[in-house]
Amino acid sequence: MDQNRQGARASYVVLAAFVAVWVLLPSAVRRFNREAFVEFQAPALHLLGRSRDLATFFEKKSRSAEELAAAGRDLARINAALELKLKTMEDLRRENLRLRELTRYNVPAEYLSVVARVATRDSSSWWQRIVIRKGRNDGIRPGAPVIFGDTVVGRVTAVHLTTSEVDLVTSPGFRCTAYLEGDDQNRIVLVNGVAANSLGAAKARVSVIPYDYLLPAGTPARVTTTGMGGVFPSGLTLGYLDGGAYATQVGNFKESLLVPSRDLYNLQEVSVLVPIHQTPGEALMQGDQFQ
Amino acid sequence: MTMGWAWLFLLLATYPWLLGADLASDALAPSSLVVFVTGACLVAPCRRLKRWQCVLFAACLGFLFEARRAVPDGALALTLVAVAIYLSSHRALLRTTPRMLQGAAAVNVGACLAWYAAAALAAPSSADGMAGHLFGQLLLAAVVGVLGFVPIALTQNAAMDRLGVPPAPETP
Repeated sequence: MDQNRQGARASYVVLAAFVAVWVLLPSAVRRFNREAFVEFQAPALHLLGRSRDLATFFEKKSRSAEELAAAGRDLARINAALELKLKTMEDLRRENLRLRELTRYNVPAEYLSVVARVATRDSSSWWQRIVIRKGRNDGIRPGAPVIFGDTVVGRVTAVHLTTSEVDLVTSPGFRCTAYLEGDDQNRIVLVNGVAANSLGAAKARVSVIPYDYLLPAGTPARVTTTGMGGVFPSGLTLGYLDGGAYATQVGNFKESLLVPSRDLYNLQEVSVLVPIHQTPGEALMQGDQFQ
Repeated sequence: MTMGWAWLFLLLATYPWLLGADLASDALAPSSLVVFVTGACLVAPCRRLKRWQCVLFAACLGFLFEARRAVPDGALALTLVAVAIYLSSHRALLRTTPRMLQGAAAVNVGACLAWYAAAALAAPSSADGMAGHLFGQLLLAAVVGVLGFVPIALTQNAAMDRLGVPPAPETP
C-alpha cells in the first residue's frame, strides 16, 4: 500500500516536471506531436467520408428509371440555359480584359479552384469547423478561402497531408471586411465570428456599421466581401444581416448579426480557392500557434 | 504478445468509439455541442493496466481529441494523465459497476470542463452568457459518459482479455 502511494506521488512529481518541460518546449515539437495525431486519424476520416458517399450512391441507385429520366431532362434544360450564360460571360470577360489593358488596372489575385468533399463537421462554443478531404498533397495552403457557389463558407486554417481544417464564417477565429447592400458609399464593415452561446444556429457579428446606414426595406441586406486584404475575392456573399442594427455602447457605430446564406453544416462539397501566388495573409497564418 | 504494448492495442480497440463520438458530434454540429466520450474511455483500463500504461493511454486519448480542435496543446492530455495516475492509484474506487459508472460520469465531465476552459482561454474573442451552453455541454458529457461507458468498457475488457492483461484484483 505504501509502495502504491509512493509510486503515485512519484508519478505526480514526474507529471509536474513534464508539464514544465512541455510548456518550455519549442512550439515546433508540439506542432509535430499534433500533426502526428492528425495523420493517425486521417485514414479513418477518409473512410468515413467515402462510406457516406457510398451510402448516397446506393440511395441514388435505388431511384426509379422515371425519376432519373426526369432529373436528366431537368439537367439538360439547366445546361442549355447555362451555356447561354457562359457565352455572355465570355463576352464580358473579353471586354473586361480590354478595359483593364486600356486603364493599366492591376489584376486582382488569381485563384486555382480545388473541389473537396466534406469529411466531418465539428462545432462547439469555441470553434466551428469542417474537415475536408483534400490537403497539402492537393496543393491546398493555409489561409485559402473556401466557397460554395458565390457564398463564402470559411477559410482554411490548418492543412495536413490529405485533409484540411476549415474555420467557418461563424467561427470565433474568422475575420473579414465587407460591404453592405444598400450602402451607396461602399463603406467597409467588419465581419467576425462569435462564440456560440446558444443551441441555435451559429452567427457572426457585423461591426463598424456606419451610424447613418439604413437597412433596405423589405429584404434582408446582403453582406459581400470587399476583396481587400487579398484573401477573399470581391463580391462573394458572406450572408445577410439579421433583423435590425443596434447601436454600440460608444454610439459611433452600429452592430448587427450575420446569418450565413447557406446552412454551413449541410454542405457536402466545397471549393477551395488557392491563390496562385502566396498572399501576405498566408505568411501570417503560418505563424499561428493553434492553427 | 507482450504486455508492454497492451496500452497501444487497447487504444486501437477504443478508437472506433472515439470515431463514433466524432460522427455523433458531426450530427449535432448545428447545436454547437460535442459528444465527448474521451473521459469515459479512460476508466475501465485504469482498473487493469499498470500505471505507466494508463498514463500513455490517457495521453494518447487526450492528444487524439486535441489534434483537430482549437484546444491549447496538451491541456486535455495532461489533465487526463493526472486523472489516470489518480485512478490507477485508487483502484478501490472502481471496484463495483455502480462506482465505475459514477467514475465514468465524473471523469468525463471533469475532462470536458478541462477542454472547455482551455479552449475558452485560447479563444481569439470573448463571449457573454456562456454559462447555459457550458451547462448543456457538461450535462451531455455526463449522460454520454454513463450511457457510453458500458459498451466501451465491454470492448476494452474484451481487448484486454485477448491481450492477456491480468483481471482487476478483487481487493485492490
